[in-house]
Amino acid sequence: MKNVMGLVFANIYDSSLGQLTNKRTQASLPYGGRYRQIDFTLSNMANAGIRHICIVTQYNFQSLMNHIGSGEEWDLELAENGLEFITPYSMGESHTFRGKLDAIYTASASHLERSKEEYIILADAAVICSINLEEVVHAHIASGKDVTVVVKAGIANGEKQLDLGVKLDADGEIADMAVDFAASKDYLASMGMFIMRKDLLLSSARACVSHNRFRFEREFILQDWLDNKISVGAFECRHVALFNESPVEYFRNNLAIIRRVVRHDLYREGLPIYTKVRDQVPTYYGENSEVDDCIVADGCKLLGAASNSVLFRGVKLSTGASVKNCVVMSNCEIGIGAELEYCILDKDVKISAGKKLIGTMEHPVILNRGDVV
Amino acid sequence: MTFQKKRCVAMLLAGGQGSRLLVLTENTAKPAVPFGGKYRIIDFPLSNCVNSGIDTVGILTQYQPLELNEYIGNGQPWGLNRSHGGVQVLPPYARSKKSEWYKGTANAIYQNLAFISRYDPDNVLILSGDHIYRMDYAKMIRFHEEHDSDVTIAVRQVPIEEASRFGIMNTNPDGSIYEFEEKPKQPKSNNASMGIYVFKWSILKKFLTEDEENPDSENDFGKNVIPAILNAGHKLYAYDFEGYWKDVGTISSLWEANMDLLGTDPEFNLYGDGTAPIFARNYALPASYIDSHSRNIDCLISEGCEIYGTIRHSVVSTGCKVGKDTVIEDSVIMPNVVIEDGVILRNAIVGENCVVRSGAVVGGAFRDGQARQIAVIGKDHVIEVNQVVKPGEVI
Repeated sequence: MKNVMGLVFANIYDSSLGQLTNKRTQASLPYGGRYRQIDFTLSNMANAGIRHICIVTQYNFQSLMNHIGSGEEWDLELAENGLEFITPYSMGESHTFRGKLDAIYTASASHLERSKEEYIILADAAVICSINLEEVVHAHIASGKDVTVVVKAGIANGEKQLDLGVKLDADGEIADMAVDFAASKDYLASMGMFIMRKDLLLSSARACVSHNRFRFEREFILQDWLDNKISVGAFECRHVALFNESPVEYFRNNLAIIRRVVRHDLYREGLPIYTKVRDQVPTYYGENSEVDDCIVADGCKLLGAASNSVLFRGVKLSTGASVKNCVVMSNCEIGIGAELEYCILDKDVKISAGKKLIGTMEHPVILNRGDVV
Repeated sequence: MTFQKKRCVAMLLAGGQGSRLLVLTENTAKPAVPFGGKYRIIDFPLSNCVNSGIDTVGILTQYQPLELNEYIGNGQPWGLNRSHGGVQVLPPYARSKKSEWYKGTANAIYQNLAFISRYDPDNVLILSGDHIYRMDYAKMIRFHEEHDSDVTIAVRQVPIEEASRFGIMNTNPDGSIYEFEEKPKQPKSNNASMGIYVFKWSILKKFLTEDEENPDSENDFGKNVIPAILNAGHKLYAYDFEGYWKDVGTISSLWEANMDLLGTDPEFNLYGDGTAPIFARNYALPASYIDSHSRNIDCLISEGCEIYGTIRHSVVSTGCKVGKDTVIEDSVIMPNVVIEDGVILRNAIVGENCVVRSGAVVGGAFRDGQARQIAVIGKDHVIEVNQVVKPGEVI
């Protein structure tokens, strides 16, 4: 797959994730006990042998850069290509990108044109999945289509707003395409993943931006498809794909990996998910700990009770404390006898002894990084 | 290529066969034996080096080096992938006139004097690759320099009745050594050598060269080189170390050292005070899953595990699966072990990548007053359905 490069957008749903993305990009949201969301995107690409990835990020990217570093965990610390960050400030033209197309257009001269790869995969870090991108690229080339969009069934429900939804006919050809639309169940949701020739992307971005069209899905894919300028095909992902586009989805999808079917589909044999290494000691389970149906990372000290929860690295759970249906991020400390239900604790939160916080599945209590209760 | 001068170069002796670890070192050098859930023994001295500000480390390997070499790689996990210095694995190699294996600890360093010379250090730190401890070598080197010592030897106080098992340093009140006795029958003191030495580079070079020329020498630091330096009238000092230290050269000491990690206030705290982490090569594994049927009582469980059974007072390493109705007690499970349903494991060490099939019974309880018998299963073994491995049995 030396002929394919990756382009990852790090900030796509920042605004819809509320306080969770106050100080980080959506891509660097913690997930699954020890990961950041972008780990899945980058690992999918690395596992397919992609050796050139550009990450487009606009703001709040300090934690993202810290996490990814030189990209060595994904074997992207290379003499040639490897990993590059594209930020608006580095271009000297505008201070924020006006849309994906603007970012592509601004980055084209500096990063995209001179690289040798023929194909490009665009992705974001909003959808958690383990997908074999080699298969997707082969299917794209075999289809003869200009653009392939990766889609997932079962996401559209008539309520959830889709960035891009497609409806297929009996032959699997796209019959309808709609953007920013709460499509009905018979539509498949775009996973934000597109494959095309790089030269097509660059020429389209130039044409669009010169006509003040900046929105990738609406003003390029849909518009050019309607105008018969491009042919678009769909590749249906049959594996687990978790869309984290709102705090509630994020909450639900974090708890989802406790389920064996979901976990085993995200962590598949031969498709490892890489992440930044933090040297943490193994987790200690105390004499009276009671841990049931939990995902537990390294470095925790568990003396109390936890059930149906995800415990990130370095969580301290005191004696008599109880955590139920919670997402507890790194280095949180839960005091003696505290009781938590349906909560998201961002990093470094401290809950003092005896405190009680109870949310619901649809309205979890969300605590900000470093909060002390 | 030019080499930067280094104040101190560390040489880590990792060539020992470790035959007292039985099957665990059949295909693995002792320093590469897994320890504490996610570490290998060599992570401890290597991390100590890094945490002490030493960035140039030579690792002397000889016996079964493949796995160890692979594990060390370019030294990145320890931050030792440096443009100047870093970590280098130093196997014995063929020279133009003769080639030979490392004959002893001193000879191993002698054969690599050229490596040390390139950095022209003030001091050379000699370490063993088979001890579990956390130590700030910088403090010891400062002590060495402040006393203008020629050789400084780290010592710890052992119970006097055990002193005859160690190299004993007899010291003056100022800490200078007047006598060294290797495993004395009638020990005069209880200052046991930990096998950690700081040498002035000039002294090390001189005495290793002389030792090599002496056909009667066994080329061993404790037996030959240290006594020779002492007899020549040089200044040797003992440096007291008070923290946790364990030689994990035997099955029982390896088991004990693992058990020392358990409890809310463990004998040896892997985390320490947070300022001197133990680094290890990490693999891409998800966080562990702990099922509702599991019970984890006073144990360490690392990442990448799926736990359905009961684990009591044990260490379970990365990537293990423990089935339903399985009971693990007082045991050490090394990485990537699969233990199926309904297995009973007591007082056992299970080597890497083993599979223990349903209904097997490994090891057993022991009665008070009896010596603890540790059952050991070597790397890559399969224990069949309902198979019984007796207490103390080694497979």
